[in-house]
Amino acid sequence: MKIRVLQHDPAVHLPQRPGDPTPTSRNLDPLMHPFARARERTRALNAAKMDRMFAKPFIASLEGHVDAVEVMAKQPGSLTTVASGSWDGGVIVHHLGRRTQLLHAPQAHKGKISGVCFSREGRLFSCGVDRNIKLWSLESSHTENPQPVTVFNGKSAFNSIDHHNSDPLFASASNLVQIWDETKSLPISNLTFPTSTETITSVRFNLSETSVLASIGSDRTFTLYDIRTGKAERRVVMQMSSNALSWSPTAPTSLLLASEDHNLYTFDIRHLAAPTQIYKGHVAAVMSCDWAPTGLGFVSGGWDRTVRVWEEGRGQGAEVYHTKRMQRVSSALFTADARFVLSGSDDGNVRVWKAKASERLGVVTARERAAIEYRESLKGRWRADGEVGKVVRSRHIPKPVYQASKLKRTMLEAQRVKEERRRKHTRAGEGKPKAEKKKLVVVEQT
Amino acid sequence: MDALIAKADAQGPRQKKRKIFHDNTSDSVKQRTQVPKSLQDKDLALSVPAHKHIANKKLRTELVRNATQAARAKTLLEDAELLLTEDAGLMQAEGALERTWRVSQSEILEGAGQDSARGRREWKLDGGPYRSRYTRNGRHLAIVGSMGHAATFDWLTGTLHAELQLQETCRDITFLHDHSHFAVAQKKYVFIYDRDGVELHCLKAHIEPTRLEFLPYHWLLASIGNAGYLKYQDTSTGQLLVEHRTKFGACSAMAQNLHNAVIHLGHQNGCVTLWTPNLPHPAVQLLAHLGPVASVSVDPSSGGRYMATAGRDSTVKVWDCRNWKGAVREWSARGGAAEVEWSQRGALAVASGGTVNVYTSPTIQQPMDGRTQPPLYITHPIPQRPLTSVRFAPFQDVLTIGHAAGLSSVLVPGVGEPNFDSAEADPFENRKARREKEVKALLDKIQPDMITLDPELIGAMAPESKLSTTTTFDGKPAKGSETPFARLPRIERLRVQGKADESEVVDPDDTAPDGRKLTTEEKERKKMRGKGKSLKRYLRKQRKNVIDPTAVAIRAKLEKQREQRKALAQEKAGGEPRKPSALDRFARG
Repeated sequence: MKIRVLQHDPAVHLPQRPGDPTPTSRNLDPLMHPFARARERTRALNAAKMDRMFAKPFIASLEGHVDAVEVMAKQPGSLTTVASGSWDGGVIVHHLGRRTQLLHAPQAHKGKISGVCFSREGRLFSCGVDRNIKLWSLESSHTENPQPVTVFNGKSAFNSIDHHNSDPLFASASNLVQIWDETKSLPISNLTFPTSTETITSVRFNLSETSVLASIGSDRTFTLYDIRTGKAERRVVMQMSSNALSWSPTAPTSLLLASEDHNLYTFDIRHLAAPTQIYKGHVAAVMSCDWAPTGLGFVSGGWDRTVRVWEEGRGQGAEVYHTKRMQRVSSALFTADARFVLSGSDDGNVRVWKAKASERLGVVTARERAAIEYRESLKGRWRADGEVGKVVRSRHIPKPVYQASKLKRTMLEAQRVKEERRRKHTRAGEGKPKAEKKKLVVVEQT
Repeated sequence: MDALIAKADAQGPRQKKRKIFHDNTSDSVKQRTQVPKSLQDKDLALSVPAHKHIANKKLRTELVRNATQAARAKTLLEDAELLLTEDAGLMQAEGALERTWRVSQSEILEGAGQDSARGRREWKLDGGPYRSRYTRNGRHLAIVGSMGHAATFDWLTGTLHAELQLQETCRDITFLHDHSHFAVAQKKYVFIYDRDGVELHCLKAHIEPTRLEFLPYHWLLASIGNAGYLKYQDTSTGQLLVEHRTKFGACSAMAQNLHNAVIHLGHQNGCVTLWTPNLPHPAVQLLAHLGPVASVSVDPSSGGRYMATAGRDSTVKVWDCRNWKGAVREWSARGGAAEVEWSQRGALAVASGGTVNVYTSPTIQQPMDGRTQPPLYITHPIPQRPLTSVRFAPFQDVLTIGHAAGLSSVLVPGVGEPNFDSAEADPFENRKARREKEVKALLDKIQPDMITLDPELIGAMAPESKLSTTTTFDGKPAKGSETPFARLPRIERLRVQGKADESEVVDPDDTAPDGRKLTTEEKERKKMRGKGKSLKRYLRKQRKNVIDPTAVAIRAKLEKQREQRKALAQEKAGGEPRKPSALDRFARG
């Protein structure tokens, strides 16, 4: 008779010396792990709830402006330097880390500041509706009333300014796009679409193909220029005008537009007939947008007093930031490390937010990092579960925004129903539905 | 700008598939040879469901990807056997005349090592008969005698945690999540004690309890009493979750299914009922025995598929929990009511009369005609009757029997799972690990309303809906014309849900005196004049104005079918079809 009785060797299962880690053993037989799925779901639900519990995105408010903040710009190559201009003509350069002001020019321009940008050397350009572009140096900033280094005079009020990525050139937008040399007092070239009579509201240089620039106009258009040929290459007329534009830092052909019709659009400039993606969420006009330096997402600020942080390619379900005192957001900015988001609003404050609402600032240990990543993957895996998905999706939003979104939904639904009925009563095959992406562009001109 | 466009075009899409290494030799051979089908790798993609009913392409792809990954993980699980380092115990007959059941405990003890020999114990105690319970890791044992002697101890090292003389009738004992708490079913109420024997709670809601079970993943203490109420107490929040009136009177047989947390109760009238907290009535009720049910146990080795019951009619029955139509196997146990218990590796212990018999796994579940007992694995006589409890120690080859004169534990080689998982239950865990596990288990506590008969329900895909929102003639879904349910008009929604009244409205005006239905022309002819005719006609026309492609298609199809039927009828009638005459309208019938 062969007899063997099960015996666990304590030497294997207990630490050899005091202080040694306790040995663990694994048995992956599913029968040894009852309720594995149910327990994982509980963990996923906890992860989702924890995520919402720790979602405290607001960090700081940078004060100093006496009127609404209109524009903001970050300094290329710097994590902390951000300039903002307001409606009273004041320009402030903020240091985000120390939350101090590097430059404060209370009367930089007469009237509103319509654009700020940094040159490669870290000097600041500002333009205003007083037909001037002023160049500021950050070194001589400690005086009470700093004076500009240079002043460029234009013929009409400027609406926007942007600096070339490598050369000492900058572009300004008024009723046409003008290219300026930093060393010359007059524009070196004028760019305009031949038949255009519109006001250009914003202009931006492409970040990698540096001679390409895009502008948006009051005539519901956006236009692409090349400064080497010195002319407008394409112009697209859309259903509604755009308020802001931004080039993707990693995908050079991708262009983001913040539209008056509450949506944001990304365009691939190779196919201008339709946007690549529509981003829906705002309940009022979107006033500004800015890509994250990673190109994986962007931030937008709107007339509905919310800031929304989007993922690239995901058309809805953006993160919504709001506070009681934040008014209409006219400028939004991603910081250069993609961890923070800035918003400038009508109440005259520049606010700093986390880009990921529940992210923990400060040092994260490897164990903690692993736990965070595990929680993230759990949330992804159980997204389809009703309860988990609900916690992940739901956001508390201000009542006016909620009511507006409800009203908007009702109106869109009514439109859709009407369209459907109309189609039902037309001859078969005549009233074909049109994809929403296809409805957007009215005409593409070359 | 053209330069930018050209550059972006030249980039091309990112390569999604991983590069496959090519071996030139095998590639050249592959074209001319073929691996036999039996030796070919089973393609995982074929075994996973295609999720064809899901319209969303992105979602479908993701589901298929997930399913493939799960299937691959399942096949890779075989490699994880590497982690299983310890061997199970065994007892094998070598000669043709040897029988395992002839082997006595003394012989087994000779072959056992020093550590495992500690499992053979005799505890001679007064105040019996005794019942016992192990913790989930098999390290600690709780015993209680019917006269009120309760004790918990680490049986491996022999450390006594607590010893109580409760001075009243005690009917059952169970550990809670680990050995730090235990609950005793005493004369009137259930009491909870901590490891040192300090009384923590008196659960006055549980009146005259007879049996206790603790569901570790749900943190529920279930009790059944003489009044026949099954009560669930949440031990993490302290609230009495639910009480079910079983309507079967006093009950003294209770077991839990470890894999779906369903409570099995055996009643006085021979019924066995299965209970979940969220159902006020039993999920399953079956008549198992002709007399009262004495003991119930569920097999943990088969994922809770088999249940064993023993009755006062001195039979033991094994049931398949997926098909309740008759017992899989039944036999009579000597000496009246038996106590049954399954071990982790699927051995069944039956204690009846003055012996404990152990049967091993495959033969217990094999259906057999008549009442033949399955081949016996081990038998052990215990003279101190009655035998009131049998418990296998988890992760050990030990069987503990409670009887009138105390407890005796015997060695049964091959019944314990040799490899434990430290994340679930570790016999060698230290204090810190126990504390951490307690916190983790509390965080992972499953909500009690998720207890179902099928534990795979959670996280499974919802079954394909049989509701169709299209109105087609043949009932098959039309391509591309599926309207979302939310957008359907109310009457259509009702139809889809099966709630619409689709019986035809019989208008008394539409039927002829002989019960035949009138045709449209006849109806028109017989119609009463002057009842808002013009408006009705107008409305009818309005209705016709709606051009619905499906309706048009259906109408055309109906027309075609009608013609075919007509032609067929004419063929049957034979001869030439009669020409319609103007006088037909005066024809009767």
